Amino acid sequence: MNFIKKCPVFLCLTASGLLLALAGICGRFSIYKEYEFDIVKRPFLALVMEGAAKGTAPWEAAGNLGMGEDEFPGSLLALVQNRDRGQSIRYKDGENALEAFAKKNAAPKDREGSLAAEMEENTKDSGDAAAGQETDETSGKTAEKDDSPGEWEKAAQERSLGEEKTYDFQTVTEDYFNDAAFIGDSRTVGLFEYGGIEERADFYAKISLTIYNVFTEPLARDEETGKKITAEEALTRKQYGKVYLMLGINEMGTGTTETFMEEYKAVVDRIRELQPDAVIFVEGIMKVTGSKDAEDPIFNNKNIEEKNAAIARLADNRNIFYIDVNEAVCDAEGNLNAEYTIDEVHLKAKYYEIWKQFLLEHGIER
Amino acid sequence: MVVFTGLEFLFRFFPAFLAVYYITPKKYRNTALLLGSLVFYAMGEPYYVLLLLVMVWLNYFFAKKIYSCRDTRRGRKCRKDRLVMVLVMDVGLLAVFKLLGVFLGNSILPLGLSFYIFKMISFQADVFRKEMTELPTFKRTAVYFTMFPQIVSGPIMRFHEGSFLMEEREYSWEKLEEGLQYFAAGLGTKVLLADRLAILWKDIHMIGYESISTPLAWLGAGAYSMELYFDFWGYSLMASGICVMLGFPFIKNFDSPYASKSISEFWRRWHMTLGSFFRDYVYIPLGGSRDGMTRTVRNLLAVWLLTGLWHGGSPNFVIWGLVLFLLITIEKLWLGKLFAKFPLAGRCYTLLFIPVTWVLFAVTDLGQLWLYLGRMFPFAGGGIAVNPHDILKYLGMYWHYLLLGVAWCIPAVSGFLKKHRKHPLAVLLTVAVFWISVYCIVSMESNPFAYLKF
Repeated sequence: MNFIKKCPVFLCLTASGLLLALAGICGRFSIYKEYEFDIVKRPFLALVMEGAAKGTAPWEAAGNLGMGEDEFPGSLLALVQNRDRGQSIRYKDGENALEAFAKKNAAPKDREGSLAAEMEENTKDSGDAAAGQETDETSGKTAEKDDSPGEWEKAAQERSLGEEKTYDFQTVTEDYFNDAAFIGDSRTVGLFEYGGIEERADFYAKISLTIYNVFTEPLARDEETGKKITAEEALTRKQYGKVYLMLGINEMGTGTTETFMEEYKAVVDRIRELQPDAVIFVEGIMKVTGSKDAEDPIFNNKNIEEKNAAIARLADNRNIFYIDVNEAVCDAEGNLNAEYTIDEVHLKAKYYEIWKQFLLEHGIER
Repeated sequence: MVVFTGLEFLFRFFPAFLAVYYITPKKYRNTALLLGSLVFYAMGEPYYVLLLLVMVWLNYFFAKKIYSCRDTRRGRKCRKDRLVMVLVMDVGLLAVFKLLGVFLGNSILPLGLSFYIFKMISFQADVFRKEMTELPTFKRTAVYFTMFPQIVSGPIMRFHEGSFLMEEREYSWEKLEEGLQYFAAGLGTKVLLADRLAILWKDIHMIGYESISTPLAWLGAGAYSMELYFDFWGYSLMASGICVMLGFPFIKNFDSPYASKSISEFWRRWHMTLGSFFRDYVYIPLGGSRDGMTRTVRNLLAVWLLTGLWHGGSPNFVIWGLVLFLLITIEKLWLGKLFAKFPLAGRCYTLLFIPVTWVLFAVTDLGQLWLYLGRMFPFAGGGIAVNPHDILKYLGMYWHYLLLGVAWCIPAVSGFLKKHRKHPLAVLLTVAVFWISVYCIVSMESNPFAYLKF
């Protein structure tokens, strides 16, 4: 007994450590089985901590112990539950689970190949469109060159076959932002803080915002009640003339471009629903610098370009327009100009002006 | 593996070592510690461990030579010659690697080189000064040079401070408990405070120094000052905590430096083992403050130039050392007496100037450094605040860490916790801090992106 009095911290830590390790060992084959685990480097209790960080409580292991191979991984279940509850799904939530899930359901290789080809074409498309050419013509070209039309392509063709008028970009004055809403991650936060348009436009932006939690994360304050509201609520309450959307860099480590685009399309559709009269600008994700590009397996420009090409496909040049600020902030090699940034990802404060000018040169008046 | 805040150390190496160490009969515990330390070092430096072994052997060889002529006729001259030889070797090795580091990048430096070389220098000087009644055995000397809690970044313990004779070492449940509490406190200080405040400093870097507002520049300097302190103090607490758990005495490396009343006092309370090393082995051998003001100033200059150069090869470290030399000289000549009368003035002056000196320390690019200083002192010109209210955002994001940090700098707070460390609430707090820290470490390791949020 004396011994217990002498070293309570030691005993508490040893006991709780063993308990956590036990929970980790149990969960290893059920709720945590999708986690990467190296027994030499990591203790079992790290699994419990990782699970907790992802919203899986260790006691869930008890219920899931007898789970079969083909069932959903527990953490993915938790993720789905979270989503149902309308809670925010943080970027890190279920990252591995999502990836594993994505891998399971991944499209065959050849499909991916043709997708990549399509995307390349589409980048050209959007470039041409930005230069003011007829969309009918460009998507026609795409169809000619690629003789294995995918479903997206068909959609693009259908779109271009419509009779409605398309619009070209024009230079506008700062008043243009008076009825604008900006939605985005830390880059858009930077535009809010340093772009000099925070008085005119409304910003629904937050660091680490993703396409998955853009509508669930409380990120604005209701002016009357003072309560925190989500972007979805904000867009319900007020009608805007234009909505700018830049998201995608935080999602780099999660899922595939396809899973990302599924969600992205859903978000754009929801914005369309809430803001029937607004021009929607889907913005290409800002790139990173050349040195970051070279060393980072995830946050690199190849991955960004892939996503941007897919985002550009959403543009119909009637209601939805694709704009790519990389045209203004990148160097000749197509990487973020190293002079404009210190951390290789974000613009330095004074260079947000370039972004603003770019937006002013890419207004749409209907 | 060699990082105390890594999972491998926390849950693999250390518990395993501790168990082996305590199972080993007392007689062989030095052997266990020596082998454990070599394994630890080899995990971090599989090649340079050979350099460490060679240096340990050479230094013991020279120490024996110095010791052997202590009683001969021309003893002093003989000892001095041999001391100079071994110092040239030790300091030369350190200087060569530091120079290589300047040109090839610091990754070339062997792990903990400075710290084991400093121990070796102090050991040789102590043998030379006849401060040891007898030469310790090779094994004890090797344990002293290589012991894993201290090899990475100190504290620079002196040989006589450690109890390398078995009979002197104390083992008890109370010591184990005390060491563990120090360790947990250090872990929390590093992971929960230093690592969070580091993100604020990184954010400011991201905005671009030319565009931050003056209040934010000062907030950044303050946050960096705390980050640096918590990082190093946290590490030192962990290192000394491990030593206590192994039966050694607690080596104090920081004594609430931000509560100092002058900059000279600050430096007596910051990284104390390095300060006393420079005092005992550079400043005093040069004559200290005994030979008049000119000599004193010269000796201070030597100490601070060396301190600056030791911390890094880029020019900002030299500027940093020189500025500290100037401030401390001014204090010695004039201001010191004033601050003795008005301690509050001294405290304010210290809290104002130390963050400025840390900015000199932190920003290695001179152009960027001038920009940052220009924002701290906007009347000197340079840059404009693109968003004058930026400080509100960062205060909103970091206020809890900043508040906790300020509290943790106050000696009364840490003193209170230390005094009541056996209280059940303090026990619970320690356990909670430990597991929350581990949680943070795991979520960072398993998901590095969480801290790369854009």
